Amino acid sequence: MILAVVEKEFRMFFRYPLRVISSILVGIVFLLQFVYFGQAVLGGRYSALLEASTGMGDYPTYALIGYVLWWVSVSPMEAYVWGVRRELQRGTFETNVLSPSRLTGLLFGLALSWLLMDSALMAVVFALGAALFDIPVTIPLLLKSLPAIIASLVAFLGFGFIFAGLVMLLKNIGPFAQIFEFAMLFLSGVFFPLAVMPDWVISLSKLFPLTHSVNIVRTLFAGGGYSDVGSSLLWLLALIPLYWGIGYLLFRWAERTTRVIGYGGY
Amino acid sequence: MKAMFLFAGVKWVRGCGMWAVEAEDLRKSYPKKIPLPFRRVEWVEAVRGISFRVRRGELFGLLGPNGAGKTTTIKMLTTLLEPSGGTARILGLDVRRNAREIRRRINLVAEGERTLYWRLSAYENLKYFARIYYVPKDEERERIERLLKLVGLWERRNDLVMNFSRGMKQRLAIAKALINDPEVLFLDEPTLGLDVQSAIFVREFIRRLVDEDGKTVLLTTHYMAEAERLCDRIAIIDHGKIIALDTPKGLKKLVREEETIEIRAKNIEPEKMSSSPFKMAVIERNPETGVLRLRAQVDEEELPKLVEWLVRRGVKVLSVERREPTLEDVFIKLTGRGLRD
Ligand SMILES: Nc1ncnc2c1ncn2[C@@H]1O[C@H](COP(=O)(O)OP(=O)(O)OP(=O)(O)O)[C@@H](O)[C@H]1O
Ligand SMILES: [Mg+2]
Repeated sequence: MILAVVEKEFRMFFRYPLRVISSILVGIVFLLQFVYFGQAVLGGRYSALLEASTGMGDYPTYALIGYVLWWVSVSPMEAYVWGVRRELQRGTFETNVLSPSRLTGLLFGLALSWLLMDSALMAVVFALGAALFDIPVTIPLLLKSLPAIIASLVAFLGFGFIFAGLVMLLKNIGPFAQIFEFAMLFLSGVFFPLAVMPDWVISLSKLFPLTHSVNIVRTLFAGGGYSDVGSSLLWLLALIPLYWGIGYLLFRWAERTTRVIGYGGY
Repeated sequence: MKAMFLFAGVKWVRGCGMWAVEAEDLRKSYPKKIPLPFRRVEWVEAVRGISFRVRRGELFGLLGPNGAGKTTTIKMLTTLLEPSGGTARILGLDVRRNAREIRRRINLVAEGERTLYWRLSAYENLKYFARIYYVPKDEERERIERLLKLVGLWERRNDLVMNFSRGMKQRLAIAKALINDPEVLFLDEPTLGLDVQSAIFVREFIRRLVDEDGKTVLLTTHYMAEAERLCDRIAIIDHGKIIALDTPKGLKKLVREEETIEIRAKNIEPEKMSSSPFKMAVIERNPETGVLRLRAQVDEEELPKLVEWLVRRGVKVLSVERREPTLEDVFIKLTGRGLRD
C-alpha cells in the first residue's frame, strides 16, 4: 500500500522531465550562491575558524554537505504542507481516506516518496557540486556515511510527521513552514558554524535532527570516525522515537478532530 | 427445538440483515472554528435528526435543495464524518466503531470532479485505488479492464484524466467506486454538471447496477425528475430533516390532482414570488421569450386569489392549467417553495 503511494507520486513527478531538470537547476543555483558568498566572506575556500570550530576547514565541502542534507530534511515537511494540502483542497484526500488503508500508512508513503525524490535530486546536485568544487569523494567514504544518512532520513521523516497533523487541522500552514525551513538553515549550522551563535540558539539547535546529522557526516568526511561523534549520534537516535511519538500522537488527535469538522478544503 | 431454530433464524436475519443502511436520529453540527481544547466554539446544525432505512438491493434517493444536508448525511454514512448524535449502521455495522470494515465493503462517488488524480491516466488511477483497496494482485488487471470497458473508457485508458471531459471524469469516478466490488454504493449528486448524454448514461448505469448486479445504491440529487424516474424510494430532505419518505408514486399521492396548477406568465420578478402567501414556485424560465412556468398547490377557492395576487404585482398571466402532479409539486406543497429557491 505504501509502495502504491510511492509509485503514484513518482509517476506524477517524473511525468514532466522539464520539472525535474528545473528542480535540479534551482537546487544548484541556490547552492552556488551560498558557496560563492561564503568564499567571498572568508577570502578563500579554507577557513581556520571553521576548522577550529567544526573540524572541517574546507568551506565548499562544509556547505555542500550541510546544504544537501538540509534540502532532504525539509522534504517530508513539504510533502505534508504542500502535497497533503493540495489533496485536501481537491478532494483526492477524502477519496484516500475512504479506502480501508490506514491513513497513517498513506501519509507516510507520501512523505517517503517526496524524501526519495528529493534524495535523488540531491544526489545529482551533490555529484555536480563535488565535481565543480573539486571535492574528493570516494566510495568507501560514502559507504561509511550511509548508516548516518539513513538514520538521519528516519529522523527527518518523524520530524516531518508533526506537520501531517498540523496541516489536516490548520490547512494553510505552507507559508509558516517555509519560514521554519529557512530558520533551520541558520539554526542547524548549514552555511556557517553554530559556534558563532548565542548559547540559547546552540541549545535549541540540538532539538533539530539536521544539526546532528550534518555534524556526523562532516566529521566522517573530514576523516573522523563514528567514535568521534558519539554525542551527536546519541542525540540523533534519541530524537527518532521522540519525533515519531509526538508526530503520531498529534496526528491521532488531528484525525479525530478532522472527522468532526470535515476533510474538505473549505 | 423449533423455538431454537426460530431463534437462530431471527438472529441470522438480524446479523446479515435485510437493511443495507440504517440511520436513526442522525445529527451533525459543524463547529464554526476549529474546536481546540479550552476554546469555546459555536456550532451550526446541518443535519437535525434524520431516520431512514435502505433495503439491500434497493435504489434509494435523498432529494433536497442546496444546503439541505445531503452531502453531510452521505459523509456520515460513509464514515468520513463523525455524527454528532444518533446512530448509523451500514450492513449492520456501526459507523463509529467499525469504520474499517465498512470502508472495505462500500464505496462512494463523491461530489465534484477532482476526486481522482488528474495527472495520472485512467488506468493508473484505477491501479492505485485497486492497491489501496487491497484488490488481489492476480485479479487487478482483469478487474480494471472490465471496469474501464463497462464505463466505455478502455480506449482512452492511457490518457491523463486532466484531458477528459466532465462526463468522462464522472464515468471514471464510478469505475473507481466499483474497484472493491462494493455491496453498497453511495453517489453524491452523480449527474451534477454533466451534459445530457452523460447524465443519461450515468442514470442507466446506476439502474443496471441495482437491477442486474443486485447492488444497493444510495444517491443524492436535487433534480426532481431524476429522483422520480430513477429511485425505488425517496426521502425528501430540507433544512436537515426528512419531510417525506416514500416511493415516487406514494409521494405523489400527497398532492391532489385538482390542486396542481401550472401558470405561464411574463413580467415576473422572482424575488417577489418567494414572499407570496401561496404554495408556489417558479420551475422554469425561458431566457429567450421571458416566459416563466409557475407551479402552485391551490384549491378552487385559492386559485382566483392567487391570480389576483399575481396580476396586482404586474405579472402578465398567459395561461392557467391543471397538470399531472410531479415530485416538484410535492416539494412545493410540503415547503411552500420550490427546490431552487
Ligand atoms: N465542513 C463544513 N463546515 C461547516 N459547515 C458546513 C460544512 N459542510 C457543510 N456545511 C454546512 O452544512 C449545511 C449542509 O451542507 P451540505 O453540504 O450537507 O448540503 P447539501 O444538501 O449537500 O447541499 P448541496 O446541494 O449544495 O451539495 C450547509 O448549510 C453548509 O453550509
Ligand atoms: Mg452536497
